[in-house]
Amino acid sequence: MSAVGSTVPEGITVPREAVTEEELAELGVDLDRDFPGSTAADFRRYPVLSEGGWYLVVKHQKTLRCVSREPWRLLGPIELTSDGLDVE
Amino acid sequence: MTEATALKDLDDAAFEARYASDRFTASVLSNRMRYIVQHMCTGLLNNAFSLILRDWYDFAATISGPPEQNYPMASVSNSLAMFLGTMSEAVRNTIEEYGPENLRPGDVIICNDPYRAGNHVNDICFIRPVFHNDRLVSFVNLRAHQLDMGGVVPAGFSGTKRNVYENGLVIAPMLLYRDNKPVKSSFNLIFDNARFCELLLPDIKTIYQNLLLGEQLILESIDRYGVDAYLGALRYATDTSAESMSRAIAEIPDGVYEAEEGIDCDGIDDSIEYRIKLKITKVGDRMELDFSGTSPQARTSINAGILDTKTAVGVALKFLIDSESPFTSGTYRPIDIVIPAGTFISATPPDGAVFLYWESTGPVLLAVFRALEKALGRRAVGGDYGSLNIHNANGVLPDGTPWVTTAQCGGEHGPWGATEAGDADSYSVMYQANNLDPATEAIESEVPAVVLRKEYAIDSAGAGTNRGGAAVLKDTLYLTEAEHWSSPLHVKKASGIGVYGGKSGALGATWVFDPDYYNVPQKKELIPTSDEVYEGSTPVAGMLDPKTKAVDPNGEYFYFARNPVWHTKPHAVFRYLTNGGGGWGSPLDREPERVCRDVRDEYVSIEGAYEHYGVVIKGDPHNDPENLQIDYEATERRRAELRAQQPAAN
Repeated sequence: MSAVGSTVPEGITVPREAVTEEELAELGVDLDRDFPGSTAADFRRYPVLSEGGWYLVVKHQKTLRCVSREPWRLLGPIELTSDGLDVE
Repeated sequence: MTEATALKDLDDAAFEARYASDRFTASVLSNRMRYIVQHMCTGLLNNAFSLILRDWYDFAATISGPPEQNYPMASVSNSLAMFLGTMSEAVRNTIEEYGPENLRPGDVIICNDPYRAGNHVNDICFIRPVFHNDRLVSFVNLRAHQLDMGGVVPAGFSGTKRNVYENGLVIAPMLLYRDNKPVKSSFNLIFDNARFCELLLPDIKTIYQNLLLGEQLILESIDRYGVDAYLGALRYATDTSAESMSRAIAEIPDGVYEAEEGIDCDGIDDSIEYRIKLKITKVGDRMELDFSGTSPQARTSINAGILDTKTAVGVALKFLIDSESPFTSGTYRPIDIVIPAGTFISATPPDGAVFLYWESTGPVLLAVFRALEKALGRRAVGGDYGSLNIHNANGVLPDGTPWVTTAQCGGEHGPWGATEAGDADSYSVMYQANNLDPATEAIESEVPAVVLRKEYAIDSAGAGTNRGGAAVLKDTLYLTEAEHWSSPLHVKKASGIGVYGGKSGALGATWVFDPDYYNVPQKKELIPTSDEVYEGSTPVAGMLDPKTKAVDPNGEYFYFARNPVWHTKPHAVFRYLTNGGGGWGSPLDREPERVCRDVRDEYVSIEGAYEHYGVVIKGDPHNDPENLQIDYEATERRRAELRAQQPAAN
């Protein structure tokens, strides 16, 4: 039988980094032209897993449109026990 | 992003420019790739030696494109879906780490690391690079379960292993064949760690032969249609899946959809429940699934890897909205998954041991089902039995020969949920799998066990306009002493959720009947299925009445791993009762004649028909099943009474 009452531990979250207007401009985004009514606060940078593996995206949160989508680490956020091993 | 109508709207010149062939040739090559992977699977199924491949079909074949295309997985076999979502990354991650520049004709590369390649350590990826005129043009791949991969549990299936060291041998990307010759050091690595090697060796040789078959068929295709057309067809095959999924997503109303699901506990104790939080954001033809807020990884091997979660997302969406197109890597093009590392559905080494990964990704699939239920309306699908209830046992025959049974004699097969199309099947494998059911004769010929019962449990199916599948009750008698790992991980809450007004399926449970309490060979009678029989049993898992030990959703939880290993005397019986499948639509809208047929077939009792469906039936279903009578007037009154009791929303 159940010996103790069960609990649900606090979960883990993927942080979504804020993006500045300057960073958006560097990515070629013209807010007035491309996302009328939006500000830099409507964009976030975070990793996603999709077709082709992991990407670091900068995405407009209301429309899910990516303004940047660059390949990220091969295994994404997973770190192997052997990562960093130098056998030379 | 692929435009939704791009492919059919391309004129001949545009199609030729994009895919280096005409439309007809690209279709022929795509179909031929599907033929190739099926042919590889048939070859392995017909010639495998171990029960897990021969009787379970625990393998899958795929074809991937070359590195410059980023390894698109263009073709998948009609087999274990749990392998298909992981394979595209498995091939890419394995080859990128090994170095594509280090490959040459005649190689086979292997990897079984759950964190690099998904699934569990027994599921080795065998990857064969295909060269055409010294150019690397493709990979043919088989992921196939090996009967054992070392670790503390023979055959491996256990939710009680605490880390990667207990879990089994981890193989980083390495050569298994070079110049079409076995690399002895690699074979030694496996065979110095794994048990049952007399079965593993012929299995691996059979796998190798079927890789050669796949390679040969690809090269024949290239010789016939040209390498550019072949490379174009790899992209065409994934583009069709991507377009199909985009179109399906576009049909869902834009919005944010959330759900929670979970798993009962891990293998340390039952102090922690693990919970998935899912937030789906859907805009236009794109979808983002965010698993932020999900519980940290478990302390034992009930965890899943991040690629297993990716599979569950893909399978759920294929089930719900896009079941027509092949499950290639293109399926994920309009989908972004946001998931932190270190949860129980994205475990990390060395402490986040991954073995019973489907037990944790089943709830991922169910969370997608729950989240989209309202948006889908009539297209919602009920939940399945939710846990493979996998049973792993071993012992020694009187002559000293060791035996093992794995996934044959637990509650591995059970019901699905109902859909708009009709009642659900009651005997299949869980939604993420697509396997066979080992034949009773095969089990009893190899294992000192007798399958006594394999039947449906009355009144266990979720009621609905379309009924969920019935729970499966299975009894197995073990003729020798044995040790058992039993893993029913979803007994606290219904997994067979009802949808569109349907009811959820009943809860399952597992018990052991010690021969001192009920000795089947001596009594020469099967153990009854009535509630009174459980009082003298030893519960393994379930929500049970603490005195009678019969299933009681309001009873006490019995924790599956309070005995990590169940030791039994000869003639003990394990009984598994799966969860029931979920119903679709209000049961009060089910035609009384269909309810009567269910009573005749003993899916539903006369009392259940009255209680859940409001249908009044008279007669003796067990002894005179063809002369049951529906009392239509009484049915109308009863249904009016039940409708009056329903909340206004219904």
